[in-house]
Formats: sequence, C-alpha cells, structure tokens
Amino acid sequence: MGKANIKKYVLNLAPAFGLVALFVAFLVLGTWKDINVAYGLKSILNQSIVVAVVATGAIFIYTLGSFDISLGASTAVSALIGAMVYNRTESIWVMLFVCIGVAVFVGLFNSVLASVFNLPVFVTTIAMLSFLNALVLLLININGTGSEIAIPAPAVVPYNTVEFKMVLLIGFFLLCVFIFSFTKIGRKQKFQGGNPLCAKLSGISEKKMAIIAFVMSGIGVGLGAFLSIIYAPTLTKNTASSVGMDVIIAIVFGGMPVSGGARSKIYAAMIGAFSMTILGQLMVMFNLNSGIGQMVKAVIFLLVVFLATSDQRGKLLPR
Amino acid sequence: MKTGNNNILKRIIGTLAIPGIALVIALLVCSNQGVILFETQGNWILFLRATASVMLTTFALSLNLNSGRFDFSIGSIALVSSVISATICINAGLPTPAMLFISIVAGGVLGLCSGLVYVLIKLPPIIVSLGVALFYEGLAFAITDGYGVSFVANQELTSFTNSPWNYVGVIVVALIVFIFILDYTKFGYEYKALVSGQKVAVNTGINEVKNAVGCYAISGALMGVVGFLSATNSGTVQMALNFGSIGTMFTAFLPMFIGGFIGRFCNEKIGYLLGAMTTALMSLTYARLLVDSSVQQIITAVVLVLFLIYLNNENKVIELVMIKNRLKKK
Amino acid sequence: MKKFWALLLTVAMTLTMLVGCGGGSGEGTEAGGIDTSKTVKMGILISDATSAEALAFQNYYREYIGKQYNVELIYSDVLVDAAGEKSAVDTMITNNCKAIISFSSFDRAAQIQQCQDAGVYYAIATGTLTEEEYETYKGYEYYVGAIGPSLDVEFQTGYDMAKHYLDQGKTNFAIFGGAIPYYTEMHIYRAAGMLTAMVEAGGEGANYKGAADAGAIIGQIFADGGVDVTSIGNINIVGYVGGYDMTDAWWGAVGQMTGTAGLEVILAVGNGSDFFGTGIANTDIEIASVDAYAETYGEAMKGDSLHYLAGKFSASIGPIFVATYRAALGDPVRTAEGNALALSQGYWIATSADEFDTYYSVDSSIESPAYTKDVLDTLLTASYDDFAKFVGAYSFEEIQAMK
Repeated sequence: MGKANIKKYVLNLAPAFGLVALFVAFLVLGTWKDINVAYGLKSILNQSIVVAVVATGAIFIYTLGSFDISLGASTAVSALIGAMVYNRTESIWVMLFVCIGVAVFVGLFNSVLASVFNLPVFVTTIAMLSFLNALVLLLININGTGSEIAIPAPAVVPYNTVEFKMVLLIGFFLLCVFIFSFTKIGRKQKFQGGNPLCAKLSGISEKKMAIIAFVMSGIGVGLGAFLSIIYAPTLTKNTASSVGMDVIIAIVFGGMPVSGGARSKIYAAMIGAFSMTILGQLMVMFNLNSGIGQMVKAVIFLLVVFLATSDQRGKLLPR
Repeated sequence: MKTGNNNILKRIIGTLAIPGIALVIALLVCSNQGVILFETQGNWILFLRATASVMLTTFALSLNLNSGRFDFSIGSIALVSSVISATICINAGLPTPAMLFISIVAGGVLGLCSGLVYVLIKLPPIIVSLGVALFYEGLAFAITDGYGVSFVANQELTSFTNSPWNYVGVIVVALIVFIFILDYTKFGYEYKALVSGQKVAVNTGINEVKNAVGCYAISGALMGVVGFLSATNSGTVQMALNFGSIGTMFTAFLPMFIGGFIGRFCNEKIGYLLGAMTTALMSLTYARLLVDSSVQQIITAVVLVLFLIYLNNENKVIELVMIKNRLKKK
Repeated sequence: MKKFWALLLTVAMTLTMLVGCGGGSGEGTEAGGIDTSKTVKMGILISDATSAEALAFQNYYREYIGKQYNVELIYSDVLVDAAGEKSAVDTMITNNCKAIISFSSFDRAAQIQQCQDAGVYYAIATGTLTEEEYETYKGYEYYVGAIGPSLDVEFQTGYDMAKHYLDQGKTNFAIFGGAIPYYTEMHIYRAAGMLTAMVEAGGEGANYKGAADAGAIIGQIFADGGVDVTSIGNINIVGYVGGYDMTDAWWGAVGQMTGTAGLEVILAVGNGSDFFGTGIANTDIEIASVDAYAETYGEAMKGDSLHYLAGKFSASIGPIFVATYRAALGDPVRTAEGNALALSQGYWIATSADEFDTYYSVDSSIESPAYTKDVLDTLLTASYDDFAKFVGAYSFEEIQAMK
C-alpha cells in the first residue's frame, strides 16, 4: 500500500476517528465531571437513533447528488398519521406500517413529481416542506384534541427499550448496507450520482434510481417516525422539526460528499448522527449558553468536515 | 415592422402575464368576499414592504444560487446585521438613514466573511452556509444575551414604515444598483461568464475567488437591507437559534422561478421584482381575507409546484394545446 | 496522517475551550437542619430562550440563585417538543443531577414519570398541573410540585386587564391571541377572562357567540382555535390576530388590526407591544400585555407603546427552587397528606411608567432581587403552611415587607 493510499484510507476514516475521539472525550470528561456514563450511553442512543435512521435512508438520495429538505416534516406527518391510526386500531404494528407507508408514499410522490414532470428534486422537496408543515398543523387541528396528538404512554413502554431500538437500527442499517454495497442498485446509484450522463448512456434509468432512492429514504423516515412515537408519544406541531436539518448536518459530518457519486458512504449518516449527539452532550456538560454553544458547534462542524475532505479540493471552487 | 410590433407585444404580455393574472385573481377573490384589496394606505405599505423585502431576498438568493451556490445563511445575515445596526443607532441616537447604512455595511461584511470562509476552506457552499448560519445565529444571540433588540418606542427608527414611498425608494434604488452591477460592470460580466461555464471562465483568466467573495458580500449587503426593513417594521429584532433563520430563504424561491420565466421577455432582475410583486400580492390577499396560515402554506406550495411543472414542461403543454386545436379543426 | 493528527488536535483544542467554559458554584453552609455543604447539581429545562419572561427567569437563576446557593445549575438546550424534553431529562440524569426544574410543558406527565423512574426530583417552575394530572402524580415521591399561575389565575389576569379598560368606558377592543391557534391553555384562559369581562359589561343578554359564562367561553375558544371579530352586547371586538407566523401576510394582518377604525385598546394574551407598538404610534390606541418585567417594556411604556402590563416577576421562581433544593438535600416540603406542592402565584400589574420602574428596579436587581437569599432561606426550614403562606403573599408590597 503506497503512502498516498494510506493517506486516502486514513482521511476516508477521519469521521470515524472523529467519532471515536468524541466518544473517548465523553468517557474521560464524563468520568472527570462525575456523570452517569452508563445512562449517558443509553441517552446517546435515544437521542441519535431517529436522525441516524432517517439519515441512513437519505444517503440513497444524497448519493444521486440530490438532497431532500423535507425529511423532518415528512417524519412529523408520518408520526402524526401513525399515532392517529394507533388511536383507532390500538395496534403498534399497524402504526409501524402506517408510518412507513405514509413516508414511502411521500417519498414516491416527491420522486414521481420530480421525474415525471422533470423538476429538480431539491425544488420539489422545498415545496413539499411547505406543504407537509401545513399538513402537520391541519392534522393536529382536525384531530380536535387541542395542541397535540398523543397515544397512551403505556402502549409504547414495552418497545422503548435499548434492545428493541438496536434491533431496528441494526436491521435497517444492514439492509441499507446490503443494497448499497452488495447489489447493482448501490453501484448504479453511485454511478448515477458521479456521472449522470455516462450512467444514462450505459442504460441506467435515472427515474428508476430516483424512485428507489426515495423509497429507501421513505422507509428510513417511516422508521424514524415510529421511533419518535415510541420515545415520546405526545406529538405536537414541532415534533421532528429539527430532524430535517439534523439529517443534513449528520450526513455531512459523517463524511458524505454532498455531490454524491462514488465517494458516497452508507455509514456516514450513522457516524454523523452519533457524533453530533455526543458533541451536544459535551456542550451540556460544560453548560455553554445557547448562543456561544451554537457558535462552538458551528466551528467544530466546519473544521471536522474541512479536515475530513481535505483530499477532495480542486482548482475550481466547489459548487 | 409588423413582426417587430408583435415581438414587443409578446414581450409586454410575457412580462406582465403572471403578476397581471395574480392581480386579477386577488381582486376577484377579494371582491367575492366583499373586501377591497387596496383599501387603505396600510395595505399599500404592506404590499410594497413585502415586495421590497422579497425582491431583495430573491436577488441575494439568486446571486449565488445561479452559480450553484446554495446559501442557507442569508436569513442569519439579515438577523445579525439588524442587531448590529439597531444596537448602534439606539445607543448613539442615530437616525433611520444611518441605520440603513450600517445595516448594509454590516450585511456586506458578514457576507464577505461568509464568502472568505467558503473560498478559504473550499467546502461545498451548502455545507459552509450551514456552519455560517449556525454561527451567525449564535453570534446574534450572544451579542444581545438572547434578548434581541427592541425599539418599538423609538419613533425615529420606526418612522420608516409610515410612508409607502420609502419602500418604493428602496425597490427602485436596489433594482438600479443590482442591474448596474450585474449588467454594466466587469464584475457582472465575469459573474455571467462563471455562471455559464465555470471551468472555461477560470481558464480564460477570470478570478473566480474574487468574484465569488464579491457575490457573497453583495448578497450580504442586500440581506442587510432586508434585516433593516424587518426591524423597522416591528421595532424589534427577534432571536433565532437552531436554523430558525432559514425560513427567510424559502420566501424567495417562488419569485425566483417566476423571475426566471419573466426573464425571457425582459431583464431577469425586473422579472425578480415582478415575481416579488406576485408573492406580495398573495401575502396581501391572505392578510385581507385573514387566511389561516396552514392554508397559506398549502396554497403557496401548490402554486410553486404547478408553476414549476408548467415551466419544465412548457413545450409539452404547448404541443398538447396545438394537437387539441388541430383535432378540433378537423 | 498529518490531517488525522490535526483532526485530533482540533477535537482536543475544542475540548480545552469547553473545559475553560465550565462554571463554579458558591460555598456551602449549614442552614437549619439541612446540610448545605455539598454542591447540588440541578438541571433546568428551557423551552424558550428569547422571550422577556424566559430571559428574566434565567437571569435570576444564573446571576443570583446559582451564585448565592451551593448549586451547579445545568441548562438544557431550547426544547421545542416532547421528544426534546425527554432527551433533555435523559441528559440531566446522565449528568447526575439530583433534581430538575422545568420550564417546558410539552408532556409534563412523561417528565414526571421519567424522573420518578430515575429517582430524580422534579419540579414545575411555570404553570401548574391540571387537577386530573395533580391527582395522578401528587403522591409520587420524586415529584416536588408546581408553583406558578394556575389556569384560574390566568383567567383572572385576562379578566382584570379587560375590566381595567371597560371601567374606563372603552368599548372597541382588538385581541392578540398569541398561541391560541396552537391551543396553549394559558393564552386561551387569559382570552376567556377578557371575553367574560366583556360579557359582564356588555349589557343585558350580552354573550360571546352564544356563550355567556366562563366555561362556555373557554369551550368556544378551544373549538375555534381563535377569537371571532364580533359584538358582545355593546362591547365590540373589532380585530383579532393570533399566532406568531411573522410572515408578510401575518404582519399585514397585524397592520390591518392596528388600523381598524374606532379601535381603542389592544388586549394581548402575551407580549403585545413588540408586534403592535409601531402601528399605534401617534394614535390614542392603548396596548395591554401579559409578560415579564423587561427593560424594553419600560421603554415602551415611556414611549406610549405599552400602557398596561401584567408581568411575572423574575424572582417568582425562587420558592420552587428552594422546594426543589430542599428535596434534593433530603427534606422535601409536602402537604399534610404527604402530597406534592400545587401553589398558585399571580402577576404584578403596572399601569404607568413610574409603577413599572418601581417594580423593574427590584425585579432586575442581581444584588437585591424581590426574593433575596435571606428571604428565601426562611423557606429552608418552613412548614408546608408557612411555605404556602409565603408563596401566596406575592404582591410587590408584601414581598418588600418581607425584607
């Protein structure tokens, strides 16, 4: 292995090293600050899992060089409809399927809208963001129980466990890894994202790839919505409101190039989501006020992404 | 001669069609509800303020987006620049023009810093803008200790909202300056060259870095004016954290696409103005009829999607209409 | 490889920055039967970092309580939903907080349950539980209780505000509904209080959309998610705006409302002057708000942009701190039946700039706030009855007399 290759390999893994460094910092500083580390680990899982799942599904969209800004709103709508269905059926599994069904439908609607009408994907997702946010308010109003849609807390207690969440997280992650790294679909997606023209000339259907990406993303969103409900079964107008931006931050923080293509990494979302949560925990540990804390977070975000992508800079400014 | 006249007529129709249709719909809907769209001076002020604010945001967004640079930070620049200008003017007892000037300078400097970060660390602009937006929101919060700025009782600074002509002035001056910079300066020529072909333009010797930083600075200055308009309207600057400031950016997409369409028939910048007027008409109609905010969001999203569908499938739509006409004739 | 070390260095530098930002706390002493020598870690849940009320509360805890008592206060990020609350409670438990004081109310039941399960004391600093909720949780060992304006107090606040102007003979009102479209109970109750006062003053047979008593009016607002522009007998509601959309259309509606012909008073269920202040410049329209004592409201009062303020005083969250502190030190205050606290407090009402200044000078002081340490220390050993009496004496004059 040449020196250049080693450098490339190390840089490729920089976000993972970053996660390890943050994790070690959490353990060391946590011990020094006398925190409950074991509880903290559970807390980190709880706080990362929704973004991790949604962002892992969204990697398929990012690989194509697109991005979807409506994922948070889609998670909220899926969760609200899922909760409404639970209140009628009292079945947690029906709720799970409804969450996934609604999210996949929204994803498909996005992709069909984009591919059938030749619209840029990010633009359809901007319109969808506005539409879904309005839908959140309407669903809560229609539901007629004031400012929230809630399901009884005891109904979700058996599922709000580390084991159940880990099974869902790992199961979905492995499914995505399999599709992304061990099937033609993943390779075609990277090809499509890296060089759309060549991909088209090679017979790869742009529309088909977009639809697959949005379906995978929809499954992630649906699972994220389900996990949101089982973690906090009271849903309000701001439920999952931060997920949309957190997903973008996590994906980038995890080392995923926003241009997609061959350098795309399925594990980036997972690394990014957990890194951001641990960073948040460290901020709380040191009691930084909201303004300064956010500034520090911004600087760390840019520095880490800068270092992790330092081998990807060319003569032209990136767009 | 006839063809020339037809051409001019076509241009005029193309230019005014969208705002014209929007105006007719707004007037019809309002009269149906027994409401007069422009009943008071306050209605004109709302319309012109919204036009000015959305037009400037559209200029700021499009300046970078046309070059493929997605900028989430423009709302946060408006926020910080208005915090800086309002704080200085309140403490020093400066008048409204000074606040406008300081807002523009502060916005320009903040935009410049954002551009410098972009060209220095050479990360994709979307990533840089995420970091910058977070940083500037945090900065505004830290400067004011979270309190924001309030000067509701300062009649000098809030007097800007009293006359519709103030907003007309902002619109006219901003439009002329923006057209001048982009259409009549070396910077503008280079900008256009970079928009149409980045690699070729750089190979011909255009300094892309300088141009990009300039775009960010101009975009920042424009957002400084947006921050000024927003602050003087309410007499307050409310804080935003965790990307709370990015909503400003979303107001500019519809007028940007409308402007792009109108730009085929006249100067694209005038298109942006007419696009902003169209969305301002929608806002005024919503306000006059007290339309629920969720309904407003849905209407805006549907209009955006329908317009884009038309825009991206115009040829197919025209073909379809022609085929139908032919079939009818047969 | 250099880049990798640079990455690690970045993380290390950042952590150094973070370490530098850590705070300390005051020295411990012996107070009554309680050993205060050990630093008590407490979590504070925040759902608002920018309103005057939230900032005044934070200022009192950060600048006074945190420095006077042997405590380490850890603040959450700004919480916007129930999931955020739950995460924040998890984080506080992770940080070994012995107690949590919450300003966030998306799912209070879940917070109480979570703290009970983890053995962490939990207290509500603003608002109170509903009767049904209190019945469920009053016996929980780790639920300290709630001290704040009850919904009855919120109703009365709106009622008093409207009555203040009705007694002056005003008949044309506009209402700013704040978070009524989001079904925030305290705002609905304040608006219902205003409408009830109007029904009473509106003459015989006056009613609001057919509702003539408090219960029916509350139900009507809940059903509509807003207030209608209508007449209540000979009292007129000539304008209404709700929500905090801040869009052009929303500002348009705000502008329209201030421009309504004949409008005399804008009654706001929350902060009114920040939104309507510029619109009423050079008019005789008055604005009444409910919020806290912030400097900007004083300026608004002097500048004729605010005329009536029902404001929470920042030190009002002092007693719940002491109750929580005592619990964390092993001496919780409970009712005679062994239940958690459910005590109500009200607002300080200022109707002139001078009155505002009097209240504000005390409220904003970090040397001698409304409830000083000496005054609060009397609660460290107080019985439930004394505690309740202390909280109930919340008027400015009563509190000043305690010093």
